[in-house]
Amino acid sequence: MNPPHNIPVTDPSVNAARAIDQQFVNTWESPTGLMGWISEVNNRPLGVRFMVTAFVFFLIGGVLALLMRIQLAVSDNTFLGPELYNQLFTMHGSTMMYLFSVPFLEGLALYVLPLMIGSRDVAFPRLTAFGYWTYLFGGIVFYFSFIIGTVPDAGWFAYTPLAGSKYSGLATDFWALGLSLVEISGIVAGVEIVVTILKLRAPGMTLARMPLFAWAMLAAGLMSLFAFTTLLIATLMLELDRTAGTQFFNPDAGGTSLLWQHLFWFFGHPEVYIIFLPATGIVSMVVTTFSRRLLGYKFIAVAILVTAFVSFGLWVHHMYTTGLPELSLNFFAAASLMIALASGAQVFAWIATLWGQQPSLSTPMLFVLGFLFIFVLGGMSGVMIAIVPFDWQVHDTYFIVAHFHYVLIGGAVFPFMAGLYYWIPKFTGRMLNPLLGHSTFWLAFIGFNLTFFPMHIMGLLGLPRRVYTYPALLELDLYNLIATVGAFVFGAAYVVFIVDLILSYFFGKVADDNPWAGDSLEWSVSSPPPTYAFLAPPVVRSRHPLWHSSVTAMEDAEAICEALRGKPRAWRATLNTDAISAQPQSIQYLPGPSCYPLVAATGLLIVFIAILSKVYLVAIVGLALAILGFAYWLAPNQKVLETLRTSELAIQTKLPIIVTGSRSAVWCGVVCYLAILGSALAAITYAYFYIRLYSAEWPQAGIAEPAFFWFAIAYGLLALSGGALYVANWSFRRGRATGTQFGLTATWVLGVAYMGSQLYALADYGISARETAYGSSFYLLSGYPWVLALVGLAFVGHGQVRVWNELNDREGAMALNMQIISLLWYFVVFAGLAVFAVLVFSV
Amino acid sequence: MLNLLLRSVSLLIAASLILITGCRGDKMQSALHPSGPAAEAVARLWWILRLVLGGYSIAVFVLTAVAIFSRPSKRTRVKQWGRNFILVGGVLLPAIILVPLLLYSVTATGALRMRESGLTIRVVGHRWWWEVEYPEQGIVTANEIVIPAGEPVRLEMTASDVIHSFWVPQLHGKTDMLPGLITVSWLEAENPGIYRGQCAEYCGLQHAHMAFQVIALPPDQFVDWLNTRSRSDATADPPTSQTEQQVGERAFFQHGCAVCHAIDGTLAVGDAGPDLTLIGERQTLAAATLPLTRDNLTAWLIDPQAFKPGVKMPPTHAPLEDIQAIVEYLMQLKGGGVNVESTP
Repeated sequence: MNPPHNIPVTDPSVNAARAIDQQFVNTWESPTGLMGWISEVNNRPLGVRFMVTAFVFFLIGGVLALLMRIQLAVSDNTFLGPELYNQLFTMHGSTMMYLFSVPFLEGLALYVLPLMIGSRDVAFPRLTAFGYWTYLFGGIVFYFSFIIGTVPDAGWFAYTPLAGSKYSGLATDFWALGLSLVEISGIVAGVEIVVTILKLRAPGMTLARMPLFAWAMLAAGLMSLFAFTTLLIATLMLELDRTAGTQFFNPDAGGTSLLWQHLFWFFGHPEVYIIFLPATGIVSMVVTTFSRRLLGYKFIAVAILVTAFVSFGLWVHHMYTTGLPELSLNFFAAASLMIALASGAQVFAWIATLWGQQPSLSTPMLFVLGFLFIFVLGGMSGVMIAIVPFDWQVHDTYFIVAHFHYVLIGGAVFPFMAGLYYWIPKFTGRMLNPLLGHSTFWLAFIGFNLTFFPMHIMGLLGLPRRVYTYPALLELDLYNLIATVGAFVFGAAYVVFIVDLILSYFFGKVADDNPWAGDSLEWSVSSPPPTYAFLAPPVVRSRHPLWHSSVTAMEDAEAICEALRGKPRAWRATLNTDAISAQPQSIQYLPGPSCYPLVAATGLLIVFIAILSKVYLVAIVGLALAILGFAYWLAPNQKVLETLRTSELAIQTKLPIIVTGSRSAVWCGVVCYLAILGSALAAITYAYFYIRLYSAEWPQAGIAEPAFFWFAIAYGLLALSGGALYVANWSFRRGRATGTQFGLTATWVLGVAYMGSQLYALADYGISARETAYGSSFYLLSGYPWVLALVGLAFVGHGQVRVWNELNDREGAMALNMQIISLLWYFVVFAGLAVFAVLVFSV
Repeated sequence: MLNLLLRSVSLLIAASLILITGCRGDKMQSALHPSGPAAEAVARLWWILRLVLGGYSIAVFVLTAVAIFSRPSKRTRVKQWGRNFILVGGVLLPAIILVPLLLYSVTATGALRMRESGLTIRVVGHRWWWEVEYPEQGIVTANEIVIPAGEPVRLEMTASDVIHSFWVPQLHGKTDMLPGLITVSWLEAENPGIYRGQCAEYCGLQHAHMAFQVIALPPDQFVDWLNTRSRSDATADPPTSQTEQQVGERAFFQHGCAVCHAIDGTLAVGDAGPDLTLIGERQTLAAATLPLTRDNLTAWLIDPQAFKPGVKMPPTHAPLEDIQAIVEYLMQLKGGGVNVESTP
């Protein structure tokens, strides 16, 4: 039954035969002790950390759910009061959505993805660490509210005005600020994953040969950039409303309570697919391995992309009852049809793959089958609630609670479990116990359906969600009791799972490299993998590299990979390849252990705590610390650059080490950041026009229109600074020192002039951000390019200092630096002009 | 444990039977027991949805089971077969099923479209009760909406504080009540009767206890009901005892009830809490949290927080006889002419 193993990518015997260079191993080794722990940047330890932390939050969220189920077991129960119940459902939802699902996937992806695509690490190791710390701190802020005694209680989507300062206290600040930290983590994980997948694939692993899990993660990563950014902007606006007195969501001052819902669900709906798509990626991997084949690869890849794209057009799904025009509602119903078809294609691709292949029903496969059953039902109820009149009845009832638990537990937690049973042997080098695994599955499957199936009926019989109790006259006691019993059965599954984990860790059967006879590259390295993952980068010749290999000659790639065997010794590096064709392009230097990510994250944490406790002076200290952390982190290390410039590896592999443009992972990362900044600009602009749409007059409250003159001067100066930067670039490319210096100086001066004149224009306009929503959105829009300019000028100034010494580095680090500065500053100019157009011409 | 599990499983099967057959009981807040044209259209839609989509789900489960247990096939052109299988089962068939379903749902939406109505009722959501106003008739009441059976009634809704959602499952789907905006919907009950509604958008501490009743009266009785109220002589009926009423009314003012509550025809014009005009003929108390009885009202006045923790109404610190007098006073505030309690 074993698939052909004819051409393994990394032959273990070869590894053993050659003495592995000890210096190479040491380079990749994590430092020990506390300092080692906090300076960890390697993807696998951090991936485990993400997964363990997320799992702990999952267990906490589960306990909260059990408490709620006790309260709801019978009608008119008094086990929990309304206050505690409302806190628990808010924290349960927030924990599962923000602190468990996405971070868990990030952890899994951080661990598995690089192995799967044949890379030694992820593209930006320190960013991984930064993402972990912000996530951990965000989670701690969330749960610290329990210690203070003001637990968030406005629901996981915190609708305004209930979540505004008038109706909720400090608790919602904990929620919004904790969430902001987690969002930052989600956004940087998006950058990390996208660039890793695009630039770090093994030679020969073209896009069309990429494992489906990578496709799913690529889609989810791209979606994270846009979705989490929108949420970050929304929570920023909420916090401004709550602490600075702006009026975005206050209907009494020209704001609108519906704006929050639009912004939130523009994040919230894709968020579901950010969780679900990678889960289907896991399913595809498991189904492939257990069927020893894969049918419908292209169908699945296309379905992933279609789902990712369309999911951004579905946010109004959550707002059918808010009195929107009927025609628009039907448009959204039609869009959900596309999702249904894409999901149908995926499901039938798995069934076709399994057909007649008699897969062994091991635990991962059982969870996949459980997933299929639950997810199909959840998908069907999803089609139902996409139909407008039906949704009007079941919206915000237990039918919805049933639906999204079918989709999120069935569609995500079951695949996660499948993935864990599938990959844990790789993580720990130990097999899990099949008997305990089967018990976990059956307890989870039966418990889940007992809990959530009756909820469909409860909703139809009239039970709204988020009620801490219900009267006996609704005759729902029986259903609720069943659900409560089911919840404890489901909970028991996790007791067995944890026992299984502990037992296997100490006593489990030792796992060999490829216990399931899988096809993808992670099974080619030892279990657990060595710290450097691949001694030599593998060369990929097919979609299933461990099963089949064509005889395609790839001598160039092989020579490069051979040259990289156990090298470089003194620094960490991985191979960069072309985003589409996966041709080797360059050798990427990867930084070693570093504390700066922790310093930067701690700085942010201090800022957020200072805002929470309203000690704004401390916020400045925190901000300074964060900037210090980022500055040291981003500053180029000349010693390292020197090592890279003189490395012999460039000659041996005939590949450059310091590259520019799309060949550089850093450049690709910066492009991702621009996508983030762009979607932030879009969200702010959307908010502005949305408030305008709901205003009888514009500007509101008889405010005069902004004076064209001063704003035109301000943004005109900004546009000129873009021209100056163009001159700097033109001169730099030709090695002209004066021109470069002049251009950069002019950029700088004009940038500062823009910032000053914009302040003057705003003062001259003299409106208040606190009196009307118009004022609030005017300042938000104006402030955006202004703050970006502040950051941009720091980069320009830094570049100006460096260019004195490195003017001749027109191909290397300085050129990359100039490119990054230009990308950033041109974006600032673009944002400024867009804002000018919106503010002045929209009136 | 096993016993419990078996029992739960059998209960689950019973529950699924209800889901499949939609068997009817006396459910006053159930979307599966419609009593108006809008709710009926949706209940019909639900019947079709579960039949079609449930059927398709079962087909997928059967296919999966067959896929797993079938023997290895000798099929040659596997890729070609796989492509067709996916295309037909996963894309074409669902499209053939879903497109008509979607079109049908659009027509169902049509049945739910706003209907012409001679009567407009304004409903304002407050934390955690419902203000009900008949603007043309000058009637204000709370937590109970009286409508004529068999006629569509226009609803204009908003909220005074946070977002609420108006939902009477037996009559119509939800419409959100948004502060600063007016949303419009309509209700029609085919038959006289009592239909329970509840806030469906989480609105804070006592979201669970923000319910109300729609009382559909036969059209002629509804006209009587309107007339008795429009005269705004709420205390037209001679009270059981003049002195008793005066004692109660005095106690009502003395203990500050009028600061928050209004009673038409008296000096009580507070608007922080529900209007109490003719409260005596209402059926429930505290936004349909308790049945309105003397005992419940007494207990409620003494300690509202015991029933609805967090409600804005403070406990009434008064001697028991004063409270009883207030209860007597409130209970006899009836319009006469129409006995709502006798309606089916």
